[in-house]
Amino acid sequence: MIEIKDLHKSYKMGSNSLHVLKGINFKVEDGELVAIMGSSGSGKSTLLNILGMLDGADSGEYTLDGVPIKNLSETKAAQYRNKFLGFIFQSFNLINYKSALENVALPLYYQKVPRKERQEKAMQYLEKVGLKPWAHHLPSELSGGQKQRVAIARAMAAEPKVLLADEPTGALDSKTSYEVMDLIQQINDEGNTILVVTHEEDIAHMCKRIVHLKDGVIVEDKKIEQVRAGQYV
Amino acid sequence: MFDRDVWQEIFNTIKTNKLRTFLTGFSVGWAIFILVMLLASVNGMQNGFLGQFNDDATNTIFIRPGTTSKAYGGFEAGRRIQLKNEDLEYVKKSFADDIEYLSSRYYANVTARYKSETGSYNVQATHPDHQAIEKTLIMSGRYFNEADLINKAKVVVIGRKVAEDLFKKEDPLGKFVELNNLSFRVIGVFTDDGDDNAERGIYAPVTTYQRIYGNTNNINVIALTYNPTYDLAKALEFSGKLEDVMKRRHKIDPEDQAGLYVWNYAEAFDDISSFTAVLRGIGIGVGFLILVAGIVGIGNIMVFTIKERTKEIGVRKALGARPRQIINLVLLESIFITALSGFIGLLFAWMILAAVGPMFQTPAFSNPSVNASTVITATIILIVAGVLAGLIPAMKAANVKPIVALSDK
Repeated sequence: MIEIKDLHKSYKMGSNSLHVLKGINFKVEDGELVAIMGSSGSGKSTLLNILGMLDGADSGEYTLDGVPIKNLSETKAAQYRNKFLGFIFQSFNLINYKSALENVALPLYYQKVPRKERQEKAMQYLEKVGLKPWAHHLPSELSGGQKQRVAIARAMAAEPKVLLADEPTGALDSKTSYEVMDLIQQINDEGNTILVVTHEEDIAHMCKRIVHLKDGVIVEDKKIEQVRAGQYV
Repeated sequence: MFDRDVWQEIFNTIKTNKLRTFLTGFSVGWAIFILVMLLASVNGMQNGFLGQFNDDATNTIFIRPGTTSKAYGGFEAGRRIQLKNEDLEYVKKSFADDIEYLSSRYYANVTARYKSETGSYNVQATHPDHQAIEKTLIMSGRYFNEADLINKAKVVVIGRKVAEDLFKKEDPLGKFVELNNLSFRVIGVFTDDGDDNAERGIYAPVTTYQRIYGNTNNINVIALTYNPTYDLAKALEFSGKLEDVMKRRHKIDPEDQAGLYVWNYAEAFDDISSFTAVLRGIGIGVGFLILVAGIVGIGNIMVFTIKERTKEIGVRKALGARPRQIINLVLLESIFITALSGFIGLLFAWMILAAVGPMFQTPAFSNPSVNASTVITATIILIVAGVLAGLIPAMKAANVKPIVALSDK
């Protein structure tokens, strides 16, 4: 599904150049649930941004579902993001004046799905994350866990090939974190490919594979025995 | 472009920034208000000027004789030119197709008396066509006709003021008034939109007066209206030709400006039109400069809004919003604020003009008003202004990098 070869990325910081990713080689198969771990500054968020086409690489190859991702125009990148990727952010990034339902429907709006169909589909995904009764609430009326579940529903609504989660539990307490991870596991069980960036060990162990990043290179890449989050909920 | 989501968004930004939106919107509304008021004032001036003429037909030409200032054709300078009945006949024959109405004028000052009331008035002795040329409105009775002219009938049509002065409460129709001790029957009373002065005049058949004054065939002025379908160019060409022909007939140097005057209303109209066109241009210029300040204000609020919503725009981009969709959103919001506040300004200006406009009825300024073309111009200006105001912020929004917008660490 995802294939990365010799990926480099550096940032200019004044006169200095900060080499963040120093040759990443990495492959993700269909249906995997991968945790990308590392301390802050290890380059894990940068990697995720490049995977998410939010940022471009300096050199290297990136292929997503057989499509080479290189030199995209803004418009093309937007199209690919919409078609291929679903994002889950640490701070949820819901649009605060839109109801839960409208937030979930937003990617479908950019896919030009007709309004009625959009609403129906969004409602299905809200039901899936257990928030149907809250469909018409604004984000400010939801708890942190609920917000993240709305964000997950939004990421899923466009039926992307890959879900990218950047510290999805970073702003949540442990009980809510496990609830969210339980949901992510369920979605993975249905065959969706998911990448989770985290620096929490217990969250990482709820995935099926852990990739360890340190100073811009992969130092460890292992398959693990998945810990089911459901048992803690 | 016109779907619900876009509008929801626009209303939300406006709602969360009520005061700011109001203040910037006010500047645009104010600018449009001033622009419309200026244009309405120019209209008022134009109405005032044109009002000076509107009691006469606007396609009128007057031919007045003068005194030559140049020697020509064997005559010395300083020769007085006298128009005669034959000149009228000549004009009539020469320009039969160009002329609509034609009349001579013969002036006389008279002392009028009815019973014990007397007064001094001007008599204009004319042809029946003169009624149409001067747009004389008959209040009661009738104007004199061809039969009166042929019979040299001693009949007069008197102005409303004359009737009031001499006849007081009596109905003057059919009564006899003495003009310089000669008795004339009043057959009509006229009124004039132009001014009260015209209503102190008396009309009589030209033949009657020419006989009274020693069987003369002199006339003072030839008045005529040309074919009303003529445009300005054709009208000017006609009056030029008329002048040439009349000067040749009276052996006046074609270059002599004093020998004969051919006065064409079309020319005066043309002058007024170009004068008010310049004023209107200045009005639009000043209004537009004020509007620029409003545009900058709107642009300013939009830049702020974009800055505040950087994160939201980042999210939208991450979810697949194309740059064009972001630009459209910002532009539409800008146009909406600009157009709405502009129309409020327009509405205010229109209401004020509707309320106080009719009160202005002075000769130089009358009934300032906005017409459809002003409204259309203002609308186009507003939409263009909205686009201009939103353009830079929209580009800025489209260039928001989702990665920068979303980094919250």
